[in-house]
This record gives sequence, structure tokens and C-alpha cells, in this order.
Amino acid sequence: MFYHISLEHEILLHPQYFGPQLLEKVKTKLYTEVEGTCTGKYGFVIAVTTIDSIGAGLILPGQGFVVYPVKYKAIVFRPFKGEVLDAVVRQVNKVGMFAEIGPLSCFISHHSIPAEMEFCPNVNPQCYKTKEEDVVIHAEGEIRLKIVGTRVDASGIFAIGTLMDDYLGLISN
Amino acid sequence: MADEIVRVSQQQTKPIKIAKWKIRQGVTVPVGRIILLYDFLDLPKVEQKKLKACQAGIIHKILAEEGKVVQPGEPLYEFKSCSHPTIMIDMCAECGADLRKDDNIKTKTTASVPMIHAIPELKVSEEQAQKIGQADNDRLIKDRKLVLLVDLDQTLIHTTNDNIPPNLRDVYHFQLYGPKSPWYHTRLRPGTHKFLNSICKFYELHICTFGARNYAHMIAEFLDPDQKFFSNRILSRDECFDPTSKKANLKALFPCGDNMVCIIDDREDVWSCALNLIHVKPYHFFQHTGDINAPPGLDKHEADDKDGVDLTKIVKKALKKKEVEEIEINQEKNVTKDIEDKNESSINKDTNGEDKKDNVEKLCKSKGMEDIQNYTIVKTEKTNEKMAASEEIKEIQIENKENPENDEKAEKDNEASENNKQATGIHQADNDLLLKDNTIQKIDNEEASNETKDKPSESENNGEKIVHENNQKLEDKDIATPQIPSQEDLLIDIEDPDDYLTYLEDILRRIYKVYYELLDNMESGKIPDLKRVIPFVKRKVLNGCKLVFSGLVPTHYKLEQSKAFQVAKSLGAEVQADLDDETTHLVAVRPGTAKVNAGRRKKNLAIVTADWLWCCAERWEHVDEKIFPLNSKGSKNRHPPPHCSSPEHIASYPEHDTPALRKRTPSGRFMDTINPLMSFSSDDIANMDKEVGDILDDESDDTDEEKKDPTDEDENDTNTEVNFKHMMQTQILGAYTASRDWEDDDGEQKLAKESSDEDEDNSKSQSKRKRTLEDSDEDNSQDFELPSSKFRRGGDLYELDAERDEDDNDTSSFGAPDEEDEGEWNMMGAALEREFLSD
Repeated sequence: MFYHISLEHEILLHPQYFGPQLLEKVKTKLYTEVEGTCTGKYGFVIAVTTIDSIGAGLILPGQGFVVYPVKYKAIVFRPFKGEVLDAVVRQVNKVGMFAEIGPLSCFISHHSIPAEMEFCPNVNPQCYKTKEEDVVIHAEGEIRLKIVGTRVDASGIFAIGTLMDDYLGLISN
Repeated sequence: MADEIVRVSQQQTKPIKIAKWKIRQGVTVPVGRIILLYDFLDLPKVEQKKLKACQAGIIHKILAEEGKVVQPGEPLYEFKSCSHPTIMIDMCAECGADLRKDDNIKTKTTASVPMIHAIPELKVSEEQAQKIGQADNDRLIKDRKLVLLVDLDQTLIHTTNDNIPPNLRDVYHFQLYGPKSPWYHTRLRPGTHKFLNSICKFYELHICTFGARNYAHMIAEFLDPDQKFFSNRILSRDECFDPTSKKANLKALFPCGDNMVCIIDDREDVWSCALNLIHVKPYHFFQHTGDINAPPGLDKHEADDKDGVDLTKIVKKALKKKEVEEIEINQEKNVTKDIEDKNESSINKDTNGEDKKDNVEKLCKSKGMEDIQNYTIVKTEKTNEKMAASEEIKEIQIENKENPENDEKAEKDNEASENNKQATGIHQADNDLLLKDNTIQKIDNEEASNETKDKPSESENNGEKIVHENNQKLEDKDIATPQIPSQEDLLIDIEDPDDYLTYLEDILRRIYKVYYELLDNMESGKIPDLKRVIPFVKRKVLNGCKLVFSGLVPTHYKLEQSKAFQVAKSLGAEVQADLDDETTHLVAVRPGTAKVNAGRRKKNLAIVTADWLWCCAERWEHVDEKIFPLNSKGSKNRHPPPHCSSPEHIASYPEHDTPALRKRTPSGRFMDTINPLMSFSSDDIANMDKEVGDILDDESDDTDEEKKDPTDEDENDTNTEVNFKHMMQTQILGAYTASRDWEDDDGEQKLAKESSDEDEDNSKSQSKRKRTLEDSDEDNSQDFELPSSKFRRGGDLYELDAERDEDDNDTSSFGAPDEEDEGEWNMMGAALEREFLSD
């Protein structure tokens, strides 16, 4: 789910940037440091929309670095259990398939893929397909899945998905 | 999948009416999933409540229908809890349960098999793995395929981190870890694409390498840009269980056994010499680089300096070609120059650029573009300093005369590629001019054109500066010329004699054919085992041949334990100790042995060098004997190249020569049986050890002195050990020098021989001791073992050898492994050594 929320971040700035462009530097540094990161609580920070305030800088004694507390608003993406999302299939193998929902990677076990879909390793690219071949899921295909579990790490979030529910499965033709 | 089925009953105090089931039978439910909606009967107002799953699992059976009233305690549905058969990053991939939170669940799960090559985090239970593995096998049989695990480094490719020229054909250059990381240069083995293309019809290909994951995927990208050969089946170091062995992963990748798995790899140690391994000849292209991804602890520089292509030579050669061509063109130019001179005589000598251009254009009409380029070289030189330019040209002409042969050759080569070369344009021309002055310096790396810009600054030559200036001018010109040299034209083709993949393809096809023939003859449900099929196919190679070795196996080795024997046996040949009428091949290292002489008299006996056997082992085919006749030179390869050995050998190959069983004398001291006069006390032995150690330490410094004047030592020593010590010294020194300069220095051999002659002046008993000690030395340290000791041994034994009829200078006797008493000596030596050690 996407949220637009207020967040805070501290920017550590090297003295070489002290000058007329200082605040600009703080802003650009915020973008690079924050966008694309992931926290367990808020999920992926997709984009910073506004920078609300840049607080008073504090010079670190002995180093010369300065710390600015920055308040900003950002769009974040936080996946939840039970959420239904559209994803792009990245890899298909005999144990299941991997899909990506933007920055979020997701695995779908072959048990969570409807039983009528079978794994076909011989065709290129490999795919899951029904006997009638009316539904073929292979890499780069778009699917709708439901998240059944998430694992939040320091580096990112990983999700487990399923296709075993109404209206889930292939959405592209 | 599940442990037991649990009946879930109605937990409320009041009876309920089931409004709607929200799940179907057989569905996996995570914790908190709504199972059904219900109403309380006695409440007047209809208010639907939700029943949620309190545990992850499978709804096995629904027991109460919709609309039915269920009393408290009555069952609602049957439920199987999830056994978490598939786990991804400690999360059940079936029900989404987090297995890190709950220790109980964690212990319950059985998922432990990482079945997907590149994703070690994804694990499935044994049971699941079996199921999937079986499905895989069934599918393979249905498609009539086998599995082939392909190693990368030195099997299909060769990669180096060394600096190499950037413009070699079929060499890929890449960085793995960002812009400042080391460059990798990968050369594909000749015919790799063809090999993969044809073999993928018979085999499902998997990559199995010790390279890092991104390295493996990068190489896979080169080998298989469409992902049609390997797909995602890439196992790299990151996924290997064991850093030194690939074997451990087999069980996970193929849970139903490796009956259908064939392996090609250049090293068998990482597969624990598996029977289904085809040990391929390592591909070696770049010099000074072994396997950059050799497993830790194993030799990375095996095969260093061997083979390989000398790139510097090639580049030089290529440059030479260009240079020669340049000269050629300049010759033409000399002609044009005359014309030009005439032209110029009409024009003022202080011509400005425009005038020059006019000239250029004139010539352009008559001569064509490439001529202009060269013309401009000549011309700009002239305008800058006419004298220097003409000197330059004279120089070229002289050079041209100096190596007319080369030129002729190169000219022929050039004819084909001339168009390319000429199109490469001014850059090359620049290079060549400069290089001529510099007498072709060694090209380190990177673009030659860049380098040449740097070079003039180094040189003090005045003329060169001029050329440098010219370069700049010409470069300006170059921008204007449409003929910018394309990368393609600059690529250097390299002759690579390696054609092993064609043989490998043939081997694999044969294995495939035999396997499916066997499978078709088997009852259904059973499959043949490639671990049997592959050795079987290999045994067919020399089936029916009866070999006799001569000079191949040292006499102190048992024939059965020798590598050559194992190789021959794995190829299906029978190895005999001596010639008889049935013998088909005599494999000899050199002519003149008793067996060779005897063999010459026999008909239907092919006398071949050992290389024949190694070649058969390498290609798995009965190579024509005529290619490897035994000539006067003999063969240098007594030991098989490492890749020729078949899987069985290494296991049975003895690390140490084990002496035959011996009986102890009543005294319990074996040395007494050799020479009772010479038993040493342990102090004596300690002294000797020390002396030997000292000698060894000093050896490198004063080898020569000591050898020339060994009597010095005698003067100093007065005790009974004098002779012995002296003996030891000369012996060791002789051995050292001989081993050092063995290959190419005859003088050293003579010296070593002298020292051995000296030894023979000693008493008989001493020389006996010496011999045994020498042998024990040999067993003690590998350093001594080498040709030196063999030489010495052979030198002594020379007198004993009645059969030998060559003269004294023929030092081929050093090999002398055929002598029979040699084995005895060695045994005694080994035994004596033990005696010393036990004391």
C-alpha cells in the first residue's frame, strides 16, 4: 500500500560544501540518501515530495561535519499481508516463481499456483501453463498476486505470494 | 505434507448458524484468514461474525454445510497444519508463516534442500525435493535428454586479470565490481558456441563453477545470450556448500540421485573423482594465468607458463604487419613524392595549409583516400623539416631491405586484409611511424594509439618530435576524414590450435547414445546409471588392445599402481608385463630398451610413444598409431598429463612407494641385514642429520666451490664419518646441480658424473650404504627425487646393464626404470629410512 507520510532524516555534510549552495546540497543529499531505501516500519521510500524543514545544523566537534535534521514528506510503499498487488514475473523454476512488485521481490511456491498450471521447463522461456495453453505465465509476464507473508530485513522486504484466490493470476495477454 | 489431521470444533458457548464458507476444501490458509461467516441463532438481530484461522495450514475437509446449525463442541472442519515444505528466507512459502518468530515451528520444518541453483535461500523439504527430482527425471527421459554439468574456467573459457591487448577477437572484457575494479578478460574456447548448440539437443545444460555468482552469470551471458542453453541453471561459488568441492551440491540439485548426470570439468579433485566425470583437457589461452577461480587451498597456478599464447608476440606480429604495410605504402608514396616535388617546386616552399589542401585534393583524385593519408604524412613532414622527413623515408627503405623475407610473408597476409588495414587509417599510420623509430616497444596494454601519444615524450630523438607534431596535425585531419577506424577492423585474430571441444562433443554423443540404448533395453521404471555408463564407454576405446609398457613405469612401482596402467585400464586395454604374441601395442618412452628391441622383431605390433596413450585418453578414441611412432628422440612424457587420468586412478594411486613385506632380523634392526658393519648410534645419526641440514642450507651459496674442491672437507674431518660425509655431500650437491640444470646443461651432468665416479672409489660397503641412503633421501624429500637421482642411479647401474649397448655419453640411461634390482634398492632404502625414523 502507498502512503504519503512525513519522515525525518539527518544529513551529515562535509565542510567542503559549506558555502552559498549549502542548503541545495542538503536537499540533493537527502534525495540520494533517502529515495530507494527501505525501512521495516514504513517500507520502501519511493519518492520525496516536499522538504518541509531543514533544521539548524550542528557541527560535530572534532570533525567539522555538520548534521542537519530534515523533515520531509515522501511516498512510501509498504506491503501488507493479504494485500493484492500486480507484479512482473522475473524468474520461473520448478519450485515456483519469482516476481517483482516495484522494489519488492516476491516468491510464489508452486503449491500456491493453481494446480491446473504446470511447469514446462523445455520451452524457452520456461513457464507455468495450463493444459489448454490459454494461460501461460513466464518471465516478464504480469500477474496479480496476494501477499501471504513478508520478511523485513535491513536491506529490504521480501514477500511470499499466492495465486490461489479469485481473480488472481495472469493479467497480461 | 502434514503431520496429522485435526478436527476443529465449534468453540462458542451458544449454537451458531453457518452463513457462508469463505474457503474451499484443500486450500492453504495463513493465520488470520477468514474461514467462515456465522450468526448466533438466539440473537434477534442478524449480525454476521467471522471465524478466522488461528493456525496456518490446509483445510482438509469441510464437515458442516452452509446454513446448518452447529452446536457447541460439534466439528466444523478438518484441518492439517502446514509443515512448511518450502521455505524462502525463513518464511514458509506455502502459508506465509515467519519461521524466525516461533522456535517450535522452526524445529518442525524439514525443508533443507536448496533445489534452485542460484537461490540458496529457497529450500524445500526432502519429500518435496524427491517429488520434484522425480518429476525432473521423468521429464528428462520423456525428452530423451541427460543432464550435463558444465564447468566454466579452463573448460569452456579461460579468464585472466592480466593486462592484455584490448583488440583480440573472441575475447570479452568486463568488470564485475564497479568502475575501479579489476578487469577480466575472457576467451571462449574455440568452437564453444557450436559445441553448446549441438550438445544441448542431448543434454540439459547446467553451469557448475567456482566463480562468484556475478562472474558466472556474466560468463553465461556471453555463452548464452538468449538463455536457451542454461536458462537459470547456474551454480556458482556463492551457492556451493563446500568451498573445495562441488560434489556436495549434487545431492541437493538432483535429489533422486545423479544417475542421469554427466559432468565435464578440467579438474577432478573438486568432484572427488566422481565416476560420471569427464576430465577435460584444461583450456589454456592466456599465459601466466591458471584457473583464476580455483577453489581455495587448491593450486591456482597449475599450468602456469605452460602452453598459452604469447600475446605480446602476437601483438608485435600484428604491429609488424601494419608496419610492413606502411612501408609498402610509403614506397608507393616515394613515387608520388617525386611527382609531388615537382608540384611543389612550382609552389612556394612556405606554403600555407590551404595550398597543401589543394595538393591533397589533386592527389585525391588520382590516388584515392588511403593514399592521401600517407601522402599527408610525407607532406607534413616535409613542410616541417624536409630533411628529417626524407631521412625518415630512407630509414624505412633500409629497414625494408633488412628484412625482405618477412616482408614478403607479411605481404601475402596483407593482401587479404589490406582493405581493412587501409581503412584503419591514420591512427595506425601514426603508430607505425613511431614504432619504427622505437623499434617496436613491448605493448603493455590498453590502446596502442594512446600509448603512441605518450611515447614521443619519452624519446629524445629529434625526428620523433616532428612525427609527434605530425600526429597532432593528422589527428585534426582524421576528424575530418570519414574513414574513422572501426573497432572491428582493429581486432587481431589469433590462431588457437585447441580443438578439444570437437572431441568432447563426440564423447558426449557416444555416452548419450549408449545410455539411451541401455535405457530402451531395460524394464520400465529402471534407469541406467551414468556412473557406470561413462566408464563403460571409456573402456570401449582401447578394448581388445594388449599393451606392454617399456620405460614408462619406474620399476619400484608396481605396474598395477602406475598411472599409465590405470589410464590404459580405464580405456579398456589390457596391460601385460612382457611381450607375447598377443600383444598389440608396445608403449615405449625411448628406443633401445630390451622390450623395444624385442618388439621390433614382431609383426603386428605397433610400437608407439607414451603420447599415443595420453592422446587416446584425452580424446577417448583409438588414435592412429602412425601419428606417434617411436623415433630416436623418444618421448618426454612419461607421466600422463593431469587431465588424462581417469577418475579411478587417483584414489588408488599410492602416495608413497610401499616396500614389500619384510621380515625383521632377530636384532630387530633392518639395517643390520644390509650392512652389519655400519650401524650407527642415534647420536651419530643426529650428527649426520645436522650436517646434512647445514649442507642443504649452505648449498645454494657454495655449490660450485665445494664440488670443485671436495677434499677441503676431508682435511677438516678426522673421525670415521669422514668418508661418509664427503660422500653425502658430493652426492647431494651433485644431485642438486643435476636437478637444477638437468634439462639443458650437459656440463652439469658431467660434473655430477664426476662426483659419482669419485664415490665409486670408496669402499664397496660404503657405496652400498650410499645407495641406500640416497634412496632414503629420495623418499624423504621430494626435492631429491627428481631426474638428478635417477641420473645418478642410472649412471651407477650403467655398468650392470648388460643389455645396453649405447656408449657412455648416452645419458639416456638416467631413466633406467627397467632395471630390476632397482626395486630392491628402493625397498631397502625405504626400509632403512623407517629404521632411522623409528630411532
